[in-house]
Amino acid sequence: MHLTGIDLLLWALTLLEHIVLLAVLIFRHRARRFPAFTALIATNVFRTIVLYFTLRHAGAEAYFYTYWSFAFLDIALQFVIVYELVTHVFRPVGAWDSDVRRIFLWLSGASLLVASLLTWLDTPATRSLRATVVMKGEFFSSALMAELFVIMLALSFTMGFPWRTHVARITQGFGVYSIFGILTNGAHSYFGTASNTHTYSVVSHIRISLYCVCVAYWIFGLAKEEPENRQMPEQLRLELRDLQRRTAMLLQSLRGSGRA
Amino acid sequence: MSQLPFLVGAGVFLVAIIATATYFLVRARRAARTSWMAILAKLQRIDRDKFATVALDLLEERENQPQLEPAVIFDMIGGMEGLGALEQNCDVLIDLAAYVQKWYPEALEIANELRLNSREIKWHIGRLRGASQTGHLYEQFPQYAQRAVATYYLMTRSLLVLYEGGRVPGFAELQQAI
Repeated sequence: MHLTGIDLLLWALTLLEHIVLLAVLIFRHRARRFPAFTALIATNVFRTIVLYFTLRHAGAEAYFYTYWSFAFLDIALQFVIVYELVTHVFRPVGAWDSDVRRIFLWLSGASLLVASLLTWLDTPATRSLRATVVMKGEFFSSALMAELFVIMLALSFTMGFPWRTHVARITQGFGVYSIFGILTNGAHSYFGTASNTHTYSVVSHIRISLYCVCVAYWIFGLAKEEPENRQMPEQLRLELRDLQRRTAMLLQSLRGSGRA
Repeated sequence: MSQLPFLVGAGVFLVAIIATATYFLVRARRAARTSWMAILAKLQRIDRDKFATVALDLLEERENQPQLEPAVIFDMIGGMEGLGALEQNCDVLIDLAAYVQKWYPEALEIANELRLNSREIKWHIGRLRGASQTGHLYEQFPQYAQRAVATYYLMTRSLLVLYEGGRVPGFAELQQAI
């Protein structure tokens, strides 16, 4: 596999950006709030270095298997990150709203079906089953991620959940990258690799360039401090809890009684 | 040609995703720019004293005092029109509680409680709308309307405690309005 100047440039740029982002996450203490996201970035740093040396010293076959091992890990981490972001948005005080959880799970299930159906329709022109699995897998992952992020956006707005700045930045970056990924992975599938790989390379370069923009967005967004939340006074918390308990009892008695 | 179903499906999917994301982003931006006074201004005018009387008639145990007569309840609430205003006000109360989350994330619990209360009120009002179509509004009105008003009254109390205790700006205006 021959690496062009653009391949090397994008490789170096993503490695540099990942290192800077990892430094921001660690030294600005964001890693504590976003451990899964930090793990993904750390994995990407490690992956970039390992893949470079694998390609140079072990050849294309070893590179392919190493690439896809890391790719599976990457996708698994992305799903963990979705969960991490979901808990930040929908469980800011530690407990799920039962309605929100039920609706989110239903919508996620429906998203899985939609992504699976679209992936099933996809028949990329490739020379091997392996390449077909790769392309369909990438498309499935982009489609599902895009759906999950849009669900988060829609549900949080509808149910009135506010977004803190850093959560919003991470979600926006992933959301944009995933939506764009539908386009690039769709293009990969359409053009395939059966006749030539030039178009595949061009589309990949565009995808990686956008990813670099997303990482830069995360670097600047996560480096800045977000507004501090106030702590609710203990007296008020107790008063509200007591009021909620009395209200619940009163409403329960209203439901149980009947007025002639 | 074999890729046509996939291209059409992926195209429709992509447009739907982008359109949905854009719709909610625009609405979220618009909501963020909405001032607190603009939210308060959406409250429909109701006679607070009369509504409180109807609510307390049900909520307080008054062994010696007679309960309000159904006709009186109907007049004090203002019939279905009064309940319609109440129904719209529920959404405003939820927005006012959600607004406090900017300072206190724990206000989310209050907003969720109000959301549940609002759902219950709308259920009661839905029953009454059904009853008005079948000609049984007058018999059923006291039962469901008074519960709706009592629930609304409790919602307003929760909101006032939240604003007062949290020293949230606008407490005085809120107290006047609800």
